[in-house]
Amino acid sequence: MTKRTGVFVCHCGNNIAATVDVVRVAEELGREEGVVYSKDYVYMCSDPGQSTMAKAIKENKLDGVVVSCCSPTLHEKTFRDVTEEGGGLNSFRCEIANIREQCAWVHSDKPKATEKALKITKAAVKRVQHNQSLTPIGVPVTRKVLVIGGGIAGIQASLDLANAGFEVILVEKNPTVGGHMIQLSETFPTLDCSQCILSPKMVEISKHKNIKLLTQAEVKEISGFVGNFKAKIHQKAVYVDPETCKICDDCAKVCPTVVSNEYDVGLTSRRAIFIPFAQAIPATYTLDESACLGLNPVVCGKCAEVCEAGAINYDMRPKVITEEIGAIIVATGFDLYGKENLGEYGMGRYADVLDGLQFERLCSASGPTGGHVLRPSDHKEPKNVVFIQCAGSRDPETHCAYCSKICCMYTAKHATLYKHHVPDGQAYVFYIDIRSGGKGYEEFVQRSMERDEVMYLRGRVSKVYEKSGKMIVLGVDTISGKNVEIEADMVVLALAMQPSQGTADAAKTLKIGRDKDGFLAEAHPKLRPVESVTGGIFLAGAAQAPKDIPETVCQASAAASKVIQLLSKDELMHSPTVAKVRLSHCTGCEMCVQACPYGAIDLGAPSNKARVNDVLCEGCGTCQAVCLRAAIDVKNVAQVQIHDMINACLGV
Amino acid sequence: MIDVAQLKAHAKGLLEKGTVRTVFGYRKSTAGLLAEPAGITEAAQADDLIFDPSCVQNLALYLVNDKKHQAEKRSDDKRPVAVVAKGCDSRAITVLLQENHFSRESVHVIGVSCEGTGVVDARKLARKLGNKKALAVAFDGADAFAVTTNEGTQSIAAAEVMAERCLECRSAHPTLSDVVFGEAKAERGLHTPFQAVKAKIKESEEDRWAYWSRQFDRCLRCYACRSVCPMCYCDECVVDSISFVIAPDTTAEEKANRIKWIERSPAKSESAMYHMVRAIHLAGRCIDCAECERVCPVNIPLRLLNTRLEMEAFETFQYNPGSDPELPTLTSSFRDTDPNSFIR
Ligand SMILES: Cc1cc2nc3c(=O)[nH]c(=O)nc-3n(C[C@H](O)[C@H](O)[C@H](O)COP(=O)(O)OP(=O)(O)OC[C@H]3O[C@@H](n4cnc5c(N)ncnc54)[C@H](O)[C@@H]3O)c2cc1C
Ligand code: SF4
Ligand code: SF4
Ligand code: SF4
Ligand code: SF4
Repeated sequence: MTKRTGVFVCHCGNNIAATVDVVRVAEELGREEGVVYSKDYVYMCSDPGQSTMAKAIKENKLDGVVVSCCSPTLHEKTFRDVTEEGGGLNSFRCEIANIREQCAWVHSDKPKATEKALKITKAAVKRVQHNQSLTPIGVPVTRKVLVIGGGIAGIQASLDLANAGFEVILVEKNPTVGGHMIQLSETFPTLDCSQCILSPKMVEISKHKNIKLLTQAEVKEISGFVGNFKAKIHQKAVYVDPETCKICDDCAKVCPTVVSNEYDVGLTSRRAIFIPFAQAIPATYTLDESACLGLNPVVCGKCAEVCEAGAINYDMRPKVITEEIGAIIVATGFDLYGKENLGEYGMGRYADVLDGLQFERLCSASGPTGGHVLRPSDHKEPKNVVFIQCAGSRDPETHCAYCSKICCMYTAKHATLYKHHVPDGQAYVFYIDIRSGGKGYEEFVQRSMERDEVMYLRGRVSKVYEKSGKMIVLGVDTISGKNVEIEADMVVLALAMQPSQGTADAAKTLKIGRDKDGFLAEAHPKLRPVESVTGGIFLAGAAQAPKDIPETVCQASAAASKVIQLLSKDELMHSPTVAKVRLSHCTGCEMCVQACPYGAIDLGAPSNKARVNDVLCEGCGTCQAVCLRAAIDVKNVAQVQIHDMINACLGV
Repeated sequence: MIDVAQLKAHAKGLLEKGTVRTVFGYRKSTAGLLAEPAGITEAAQADDLIFDPSCVQNLALYLVNDKKHQAEKRSDDKRPVAVVAKGCDSRAITVLLQENHFSRESVHVIGVSCEGTGVVDARKLARKLGNKKALAVAFDGADAFAVTTNEGTQSIAAAEVMAERCLECRSAHPTLSDVVFGEAKAERGLHTPFQAVKAKIKESEEDRWAYWSRQFDRCLRCYACRSVCPMCYCDECVVDSISFVIAPDTTAEEKANRIKWIERSPAKSESAMYHMVRAIHLAGRCIDCAECERVCPVNIPLRLLNTRLEMEAFETFQYNPGSDPELPTLTSSFRDTDPNSFIR
């Protein structure tokens, strides 16, 4: 137990001082047992503040320091550095008492807030008096990166990393990279062709010597920790050797099974052996096991018979690939909100009610109609098309509460594209309001209204139904206050974007958090938007929140640069505030082993008692809470410290 | 109907062959109605074994104690021990297995069926009989006990004199066993599960506080409840500084860091904390054998405290303590389907 404690109370300008009597806090703390120095200062984090602190530590031979100031996430590092570098005292002898976020900012009654600040600071003093000197644990890093998801986010991040000289493993669960962007026709706000700008990047992925692409693969297990992860990746059997496949299409011609084509969102069909689209990467046919008539034993075998290149091999088996990597980027993207949830709009019931992606395919030259907007039901040109925005978004009662952010823009794009394809047609858009923040975005929407005469109707659609063979859209125009009924040849729903199923799966495998809507949770909404809470795991793209391509690319490059920063060191420093087992008290009940969210504990020889892996342990304290026998403690947050802190708060 | 002769023969066989070191079972007590626990090591003693509604004790406790004795003796006899276990007792053994207290191979579980009724509550029976003194009690069909008194044998509806916990029992048949005697009877459902605690919860907060204040005030802190509980197997009890172990290798720092969460005096506040901590430490582990309540010299209704948490475990997490040795424990595990409305 240390006895020469110093207390530094910060005013934070008026941030703290306006609500807390900081002078009194410093004075009273000076009278606490073991406190030999206590002072208030206007800005502790300023240069003079830091020098005062360093000087006081030396002159008073302090062996423990409490800085009563803002949240430790902001300045714990600053003051620990001062303690060690300026004061010559081990940095873990410094603790923060947060009297700003946890006191001054949440109270207005000055006397009461001062009482609370006193308690918080006294508790921190009690804690620091039991602190041990600790040394960070150095761990070597693996300079290789795992990128999960091969949409534009994963592609961009992989290329940035590979170009910086890092080895990348890119894992994509589909047979090709490209994600949703490769399905788009043209992209707002400049209307450049999506495939034209994406396919060069896809080719680069396949050619880059630093990138190992694994398609039809999924990460099944992650162990380890920042700098030293181990991934177990399952790759499906593809049955076609990409090296030998000549992409001649002979196999698909003879294949008897026909299934719906994912790339065209069900508007066309494909065979069991197929290539997703001409520019697919890897450029090869692939056999969809679930659609094939049978491989074990071979039931049909027609494709192998006709393949002159001999590329088809029914004996291929799934592979389990193990990779060691230093960092992970999760870029698992989005799915559209399930259409089954929107029965009121006739989706799934009427062939001519489409979702946004299907409409993209209809506009695309590589799409089912060769780039002509035709109704799926009768292949006629639709003359009245109704676009419904916020289908499933901004509806906390029944659907998603959040705004999907990109639908205003792509609906304006759809209406514009429609007018380009069918100049004599009429486009209607039902909207709640138009959100067009972004460079060139508002102008784009205005153009669609003015030049392309898209009719924007402010209001919700209540239902889409059929009357004597015609689809009727029943809505309300809140500006004129009238109900509107439109006879529509086609209805396009701007369905909400939701985190993909693959995102949910990845979050579970990686044990990273998701927000209330299921999107991946960032470590800090403003200051750490591309990091997950787990060290070494980064986020990019629509898996983190709805976003468009420019934003996705920004985040992907940001995540890549974070990884580069992380892996540019030879050694990573791991916090030494880790759990420690009191072997005499451990009964080996395994509860902590099961509870540890980082897999840091196991039962070890000789007596099958708990054993902590210091490098894996994040010091979260879960084990401490779960152990009935008080046999496990986190260093510098030991139970005796918690006990004394509670007493300090209670004033006993 | 359970055939006690078979049970005896089985125990005898085990001891004759020497496949087990000890058989923990029940024998007729020399004092009073309730059976007494017996640890027998000789085949000849197997004839003393009984099983009837007077066999109330949870013998899982003896597995825990036996482990301690073996360690103290530094015995290297690694043979398993056999134990006679009712439904509730088998759940206790299961919890101990979940917590790695011993291995599955080290225990031979002789399951016994409670025959569609359960065990007797001696206090209820005495009240029922008035001046008559019960000498023996036997199973009598699916809903009665045959009670022998100094005035002869009479049949009494089991529900009237059965232990409270048996009335609420949700799995009267052993959930884990190597051999079972007696048949599994369909779940009886005499009372709805958690009936007593649900009734208590309905009372106002003030009334409940007054009730528990009175109870905690009466507690002697004799720790009989802890001693009889098979789950209270820690060497050192965090809420009892007397139990703190000082070994030759205990460092001065460790000694200094021992926390006295609770004072030793049996003051109301300290006893309340003792019971609260114990109840929390039993969440998802207490299997409602009600032994703690039975042994309490001042009749503190401990079941009400423990089943309160058992109910929470069941209703919130569908967790049934002692149902499956492979399951992780309640407090250490997490399922995606767990309700998490309290996490914001
Ligand atoms: C109808 C529509 C029109 C749009 N139009 C435009 C536009 O004009 N301009 C614009 O800027 N934006 C537009 N967008 C938005 C754009 O599509 C997204 O911003 C972009 O696709 C997000 O890229 P991503 O890589 O994050 O996600 P995705 O494109 O969804 O890619 C995710 C990838 O990860 C893979 N994956 C998922 N889970 C796993 C897993 N567990 N393991 C391995 N792989 C996995 C998926 O198979 C997929 O390939 C539009 C969106 C829609 C719906
Ligand atoms: S929970 Fe406690 S007693 Fe159980 S294994 Fe972990 S440290 Fe040991
Ligand atoms: S503090 Fe305990 S639960 Fe948390 S990471 Fe470390 S060992 Fe695991
Ligand atoms: S509850 Fe009863 S058995 Fe337990 S310590 Fe108190 S008096 Fe003793
Ligand atoms: S707390 Fe009581 S009822 Fe529960 S297991 Fe222990 S002795 Fe049995």
